[in-house]
Amino acid sequence: MKRHLTVDDLARDRRFVRINMEERMSDPRNVGGPGAYGRDAAEQADDGGRSGRRGLGRMVPDAPNAPDAARSLMHGIFVGEIQALEGAGRTCYDFDLGDNPDQVPYGLKLDMARQCWDEARHCEISVKLTEWMGTEIGEFAESPFLFQAACNPDALLRLAGVNRALEGLAIDVFNTMRDFGDKAGDPVLEFCEDWMLADEVTHVKMGSDWLRKLTVNDPERRARALEFQSVVDKLFSLGGGRSDEEDSPIRLARRFRQMAGFTDQEIDEIAEVSRQARDEAENRVAARRAAMAAAGSSSGSAQ
Amino acid sequence: MPAMPDPKKPRPPFAPWDRRELPGAFSVEETARRVGNYKWVEMRLFEALGGWVATVPELDVKMRLGTHCYKHAWHSELWHKRLPELREMNPDRLTLPANDAMVEFMEALTAPEGEDKTLEKLVGVYRVLIPHKIAAYTYHLNNTSTITDAPTIRSLKLALNDEFEDWRDGEMLIQSLIENEEDVRRAADRQAELEAIMVRAGGIAGPGSIGTEEIPETVEAKA
Repeated sequence: MKRHLTVDDLARDRRFVRINMEERMSDPRNVGGPGAYGRDAAEQADDGGRSGRRGLGRMVPDAPNAPDAARSLMHGIFVGEIQALEGAGRTCYDFDLGDNPDQVPYGLKLDMARQCWDEARHCEISVKLTEWMGTEIGEFAESPFLFQAACNPDALLRLAGVNRALEGLAIDVFNTMRDFGDKAGDPVLEFCEDWMLADEVTHVKMGSDWLRKLTVNDPERRARALEFQSVVDKLFSLGGGRSDEEDSPIRLARRFRQMAGFTDQEIDEIAEVSRQARDEAENRVAARRAAMAAAGSSSGSAQ
Repeated sequence: MPAMPDPKKPRPPFAPWDRRELPGAFSVEETARRVGNYKWVEMRLFEALGGWVATVPELDVKMRLGTHCYKHAWHSELWHKRLPELREMNPDRLTLPANDAMVEFMEALTAPEGEDKTLEKLVGVYRVLIPHKIAAYTYHLNNTSTITDAPTIRSLKLALNDEFEDWRDGEMLIQSLIENEEDVRRAADRQAELEAIMVRAGGIAGPGSIGTEEIPETVEAKA
């Protein structure tokens, strides 16, 4: 069996439909405005979709699209869990044991094997929750972004990108979904998300611990890993939708991130990266709308 | 008043139902050698199961492999921790395959990688390797000193419990994947291919893995 797979090597049955990041980001259901997933009713009524706010919108049970938003997010969590399982499994296999940068210590492999078991359970939980919430495998597309971060040839960068950045995002998402389950009066959703949240804190802590342990005498490697993590954090801050803001669709779960080994400064940096991503996304949308308006007025004057 | 029980009344050191015995078939050195072989096999197995997760399209198989991956990693850790207790302070020194044939076996076991090879992957693990692990662990459990080697016995029992459960899971997955005579032949051919290598290896801990002994064929020969 060869080492170091690519996203194209991932095996799926025929129910799964794969899309790339560009297709995912251009899905109109993920863009602010009427019809966007999960925007709350007041927000839509207030601006009629004209605010230019991009993102999922706040997850509130009484929003018109809340059920679809929750189902879409749940399906996204499910395929993310599959990729997290695959990524942890590949880190068990792709590296020789040793202390060189292209090798990994035995203890790290044991942690990745433990993560395999946890992610396999999360797949089981998620597939049952998708049924519980009224959707099914393949109703929404799969974007293989998590496994892409798990393809890095440097195991430490894998841990920075997957365990610290994406599993960190999972902490924020599960915390949000748990609260959503509470507000929606869905004890099954709340119960499951709470258990998965506990596991995610463990996985992020594994990433934090190994990052510090493996770079104790190698500040350059640590800087590279943290830079990679920051890139992934920004890319998957959901256009700023995951942030420290009160009204953000997915709030940074500060307390759980601290448990997982993040310092306050590191959490502040993620919040800042998310704020930048939100500003950039809003600027992009505003520019696009201005261009559309300009095109409309010029075609009007031509008539 | 009822008489108080006499706390100083002598009792036998071993209760009547405790039939454990001192003699065992393995020295400290031989136990360490076997444990090192076990650790090597468990490591190669959990790495392979983890690596295969991404390569199998069947969702139920994918999730089972992820679960089993951890169990074998944990077994390897049990053996890793036992080695220093057996006077091997550098566990890596004894984390070895029993022989070259065992290396060849694990290479052949992990060779299939295509998404159409799930049956070959599962047969190798659940119809060949795990039955051989169960055999070697059971032989060790039944022949080591039940008093002096109690820590190894405990680890063997924990590992065996997982092995039986995983064997059953894997066998049921295999049965559910076999749908016609061609599948039956594929599974049988794969099993035969790997069993042939395992015979040359003599088991996961080499010749004597299950304690085969030479029995004289005649009374005269014995004399």
